[in-house]
Amino acid sequence: FRFKDSLAEDLRKADLVISHAGAGSCLETLEEGKPLIVVINEKLMNNHQLELAQQLHRDGHVLCCNCSTLVETLRSMDLSTLKPFPPGQPEKFALFLDKVVGFQ
Amino acid sequence: TGGHTTEILRLLSCLSESYSPRHYIFADSDKMSEAKIRSFEQKRSETFSNSQFTLDRIPRSREVRQSWTSSVVTTLYSILYSLPLTYKLKPDLILCNGPGTCVPVCISALLLGLLGIKRAIIVYVESICRVETLSLSGKILYHFSDYFIVQWPDLKKKYPKSVYLGRIV
Repeated sequence: FRFKDSLAEDLRKADLVISHAGAGSCLETLEEGKPLIVVINEKLMNNHQLELAQQLHRDGHVLCCNCSTLVETLRSMDLSTLKPFPPGQPEKFALFLDKVVGFQ
Repeated sequence: TGGHTTEILRLLSCLSESYSPRHYIFADSDKMSEAKIRSFEQKRSETFSNSQFTLDRIPRSREVRQSWTSSVVTTLYSILYSLPLTYKLKPDLILCNGPGTCVPVCISALLLGLLGIKRAIIVYVESICRVETLSLSGKILYHFSDYFIVQWPDLKKKYPKSVYLGRIV
């Protein structure tokens, strides 16, 4: 996959996604409802990228591992333990902003 | 840039047409945002016939991990650039979500407010990626925005003046 324009098509066809901890990759995959294993490479990543991956893991939405434990994770994973990821609610933001600005 | 643009367009997705005209400001080095914005506005114009928007580019204030001293210089340059733009647009409301680009624009708006020229409401929404720590833009604008929105409860605890609405993108 040398820099395809969009992975959306591949994502839709996938049964399992294994990804780095980039926020865009994680969120797009979860929103598509696909099971996700996040591989964390602490040497490459800047700390703040880890925050989201860790939170998603804590909340049970993704499986996490690092490069050396990936194979083990694939062997022993139970994808049914993953919880669905509810969509964000921009309508709450709209309601808030309407109040702030004075449109009711 | 990238993720920021996607997030801000989602924030805009439920806003009524009272939020018009929309002026998008992004970094000159950003290649992808213009297409995303046009696509968003195109869909929007299918529902709202009188949809109006503009696009403006300003010099990028800071590259990722750029040093402190050179960041101050490039940010000052961006402020010099964004001041006349903000003066021209005289926004009632500024909505931003974290790229370095938003800092010079907000500072320009604050200056215009202090000078009595135009007072804008500044609403900052921290990225969904920020769970435990704020971005640099967030740390700066936490003190200067009118409303500072975070998307995870840990941040609400650490920054009590912030607003927590849950995940909104």
